Amino acid sequence: MSEFVQYLVSGLAVGCSFALLASGLVTIHRVTRVVNFAQGMFAVVAGLTAGSLLSAGLPHGLAEAVAVLTAGAAGLLVGVAAVGRRGTSPQSALIVTLGIGFLAYAVEIVIWGEDPRSFPGLGGAVEIAGAHLQKQYFLVIGAAALAFAALGLFFTRTLLGKALGACASNPYAARAVGIDVTRMGLVAFTLGGVLGGVAGVLVTPLQSLSYNSDVLLITNGFAAAILGGLTRLGPALAGGLALGVAESMVAGYYEASYQSVVALALMLAVMVWRASQHTALQEEASL
Amino acid sequence: MNKPTTQTRSQGGPPTRARRAAGKRSPAPARTPARLAAFGPAARLRRPRVLAVVALCAAALALPQVLPASDVPVLVTLLLSAIVVTGLSMLMGYAGQISLGHAAFYLIGAYTAALLATHGRPTWLGLAAAPLAAAVVAAVIGVPLLRLRGHQLAFATLAMQLILLNVVGQQEWTGGDIGLQGVPRLTVAGYEFSSATSYAYLTLAALALVVIVTRNVVASRPGRGLRALATSEVAAESAGVPVVAYKLAVFSLSAGFAGLAGGIYAFYTGYLAPGSFPVLLSFEFVVMAVIGGLGTVWGALAGAAVITLLLQELNELGTAEGMPGSAPAVLSYAVYGLLLVLVVLYLPRGLVPSATAWWERRRARRRSGGPHDDSPAAGAGAGRGADAGAAAGKGT
Amino acid sequence: MTSSTRDSAAPPGAPGAPAAAVVAVDDVVVRHGTATAVDRVTLTVAPGEAVALVGPNGAGKTSLVNTIMGLIRPAAGRVAVRGRAALVPEGRQMFPDLDVEDNLRLGAWPLRSRGAAARDTSRVYEVLPDLAGIRRRKAGTLSGGEQQMVAFGRALMADPDVLVIDELSLGLAPLITAALADHLRELNAVRGLALLLIEQNARLALELCTRAYVLESGRVRAEGPSARLAESAEVAAAYLGGPAEPPPAAGGAEGDGA
Repeated sequence: MSEFVQYLVSGLAVGCSFALLASGLVTIHRVTRVVNFAQGMFAVVAGLTAGSLLSAGLPHGLAEAVAVLTAGAAGLLVGVAAVGRRGTSPQSALIVTLGIGFLAYAVEIVIWGEDPRSFPGLGGAVEIAGAHLQKQYFLVIGAAALAFAALGLFFTRTLLGKALGACASNPYAARAVGIDVTRMGLVAFTLGGVLGGVAGVLVTPLQSLSYNSDVLLITNGFAAAILGGLTRLGPALAGGLALGVAESMVAGYYEASYQSVVALALMLAVMVWRASQHTALQEEASL
Repeated sequence: MNKPTTQTRSQGGPPTRARRAAGKRSPAPARTPARLAAFGPAARLRRPRVLAVVALCAAALALPQVLPASDVPVLVTLLLSAIVVTGLSMLMGYAGQISLGHAAFYLIGAYTAALLATHGRPTWLGLAAAPLAAAVVAAVIGVPLLRLRGHQLAFATLAMQLILLNVVGQQEWTGGDIGLQGVPRLTVAGYEFSSATSYAYLTLAALALVVIVTRNVVASRPGRGLRALATSEVAAESAGVPVVAYKLAVFSLSAGFAGLAGGIYAFYTGYLAPGSFPVLLSFEFVVMAVIGGLGTVWGALAGAAVITLLLQELNELGTAEGMPGSAPAVLSYAVYGLLLVLVVLYLPRGLVPSATAWWERRRARRRSGGPHDDSPAAGAGAGRGADAGAAAGKGT
Repeated sequence: MTSSTRDSAAPPGAPGAPAAAVVAVDDVVVRHGTATAVDRVTLTVAPGEAVALVGPNGAGKTSLVNTIMGLIRPAAGRVAVRGRAALVPEGRQMFPDLDVEDNLRLGAWPLRSRGAAARDTSRVYEVLPDLAGIRRRKAGTLSGGEQQMVAFGRALMADPDVLVIDELSLGLAPLITAALADHLRELNAVRGLALLLIEQNARLALELCTRAYVLESGRVRAEGPSARLAESAEVAAAYLGGPAEPPPAAGGAEGDGA
C-alpha cells in the first residue's frame, strides 16, 4: 500500500510536469498550428537558469520567477523565428523549431556545460499511509494545478485569451476584425515558453536536467498533448497525469529502464487510434 | 466554386498541380517542377548535367586514392550519410512524410549485419540481409504509423527510435548498452574489405546503386503518383493513386537504404552500440536532407557532403589547442541550428533546387533577352509546394 | 476593421482621391501569383454614401475587398481609408466556439485601448435587437441568417465610418436577405454609415445603393448611379437577366476557404 501511494504521488508530480509541457504545446499549436519542438528546451533553460541563480545567492521564489521569465523570453525568440516570417508553413516551422533546439544546445553547453544539473527544491518529506513523500511532489502538483486553472481562466475569461483562440478557430475572421495573427502567435509562443519554464523549475529538483534532456521532455509532453488533439487543455492534463503515473508504476513494480518505453508506446497507440478515426480528407479539409 | 478568398491562400494551388502531376496529361517541359528536373531528364539541362555526372563520378573514383589516408574515413562517413539521406529525401520530398527516427533503420541494418556475422554466417549474407531487415521492419510498422501524417508521424518515428534504442540497450543478445564487438571484416568472393579505402569504394558502389534505384523509382509511373501524394493525398487518391501502398513502399525503400548503409557501417567499424545511433543522428539526416533540398538526389548528396565536411572542419577547429573541451559540440550544434533555420526560412527548397532555379532563370532570361520570370521549372508555383515542410505534408 | 492608419499613404486632397472620400481606391492592381485578380481599379465611397460593387463570380470583388481592408497588399496603386472600415466577410466567418457576445466583443478589438466602454455590446443589441435573445449561444450553432446578423453586429462594434459587406445574400433565404437589407438601409439613412456592398445579386445591390460599379475580370466595366445602371441594356442583360434570387448552393463552402 505504502509503495503504491509512493508511486502514485511521484507519478502525479512527474505527470504534472508533462502536463505543463503539453499545455505549452497546446497553447502554441492552438494559435499557430505549429508543433513546437523546442518546448522541452524551455524547461531545460528554466531549470538550469534557476539552479545558477540559486547558487548565485538569489532566494527561492525569485530565482524560479526569473528563470520562468527567461524561458518566456526564449519562447518569444523561438516564435519570432518560427512564425515571424509570413508564409512559413506549420511544417516548416516545426523544422525551424528543431533548428532552434540545436542552437539552444550550443548556448546551454557554453553556459552550463554538458553534465546534468539539479538544485534542491522544497526540502523535507511527509508520511502518508506509510509512504515517505517528498514535499516537492506536492509543490509540483499544487503549482501545476494553479497554472492550469490560470490558463483555463485566461482562455475563457479574458479578451486576449479569446482573441488567441479566435486566431486558431478562424484566422481569416481574426484578421478581418483587426487581430494581428502573427503577433498573437508570438504571444502564444511566449506563453508556451513560460509554461515550459514552470515545468522546468518544478521538475529539476526531482530529476536533474542536462542540455539534451529536452528530447524526452518534448516526447512526453507531446504524448500528453496528443490526447487532446493538440488543441484541448483538459485532455492534455489528463494525458500528462496518466503518463506520469504509468511510468512511475512501471518503474516501481517492473523495471525502471522500461518506463519511457511504456510512455512512448502509449503515445503511439493513442496517435494511431486517433488517426483511424479521421480520414485524410477530413484533415485536409480542416486546414 | 472557386472563391477569390481561397486563391489568396496557398492551399488553393496544390490540388490543381497534384491533379496535373497525377493525371500527367500535359507536363509541358517549361512547367516541370524542379524536383522532377533534378531527377529526371530535363532537356534543357541535359548537357551540363551529363558533364557534371561524369565529372562527379571521375572525382568520386579518384578521391579515395588521392585523399590523404587520414581523410578517407571522413569520405566513408559522408558516403554512408548520403545513402541514408537519399532515401530520406525521397520519403520527405515525394511521399511528404517526415521521419525523425531514420537512424533506427540504420541501427537495424547495422545490427542485422553484425549479428549474422558474429554468429558465423558469411559476411556477405549479413550485408545483403541488412537492407532487407530494415525494409521489412519499416513495412510492418509502416502499416499503423503511416496513417499518421505531418508532425504526428515525425513524433511517431522519433518515439519508435527511442523505443528501439531502449530495447536494444537491454537485450543480452544485442550486447546491451555495451554493444557488439569484434564484427569481422566483410568478405565477398574471397576478397576481404579491410582498409578504409576499400570501404570507401564499397560505399561508393552502394551509393551508386541507391541513386540508380531512386532515379528509376522516381521516373516510373508510381513515382509520378508519388509526386501527387506530396501535395495532396486526397487529390492523389481521387486520381487513382494507391496512396497507402505507395507510401508504404517509399517508407520501406528509404528504410532499406538506411539499412544498407548500416550494414556497411557495421563491417567498417567492427563495433556497434546503441550509443552509435542517437536520436541526434536522425536529426542530422533530416538536416542534411532539408538543407540539400528535399526530393532530389543531388540535394541529398550535397546536403550530406556540406554537413559532413562542415562538421569535420568544426571538429578540427574545436579540438584545436586552447579550445575548451566542449567546443566541438558547441560549434557543431550552433552551425546545425543556424543552417537549418536559415535554409528553411530563406531557401525553403534547399540548396540544390534553389541553385538550379537560379541557373535556369538566368539562362531563360539570357535566351529570351528579357526578364521573363514565368518560365523556370522551379517557378513560384512549384516552390510553394516544395517548401521544406510543405513538401512534408498537407498541413496538420 | 482595420484601423485608420493606412490613409497616411494618401494625404487628404491627393490627386485622384477626393478629400472627402472614406474609401479611395486608386488604380489598384492585385495579383495572386501570376494571375491578376484586380486590374487597375479606381473606386471611391463618399461619407454616408451607399455604393454597390457587382459582378460575376471571380470578378475580383473579394480580392478588392481584402485590399481595402488591408488584408492583402496591392501590387500597384493606392488604397486610402479615412476613419475606420469594418468588414462583414464573405461566408460570415464566425468564431464558432465563442458565443455571440464574445464574437461581438472581438469586433471591438481595434478599439481595445479605449477601455471597457468600447466593448459595451449594448449599442449593437439596440440596432439589432434579434441578437439580444441569442447572445449566449455559440456562433457555430446559429442559422445562416443569425450568423450574418452577428457578422453585422461584430463589424458595428468597431465603430466604423464605412461598412464593407462581402456578399450580403449569399446562402441566405430571400426573406432574411430582405430583413438584413432593411437594417442596412436604416444604418445608412439614419446613422449616416457609409456602405460598400459587394453582391452577386445585382438587382438587390442596385436597389439598396445609390451608386454602383460593375466589376468583371478584375476591371471596372461600368459605373454610375444605380438607376442609370439598372436601365442600361448592357448591364441588365449581363447581370439582371439571371435569377433575382441567389443560387442556394453556396452554404457549404464557407469557412474552410479562409
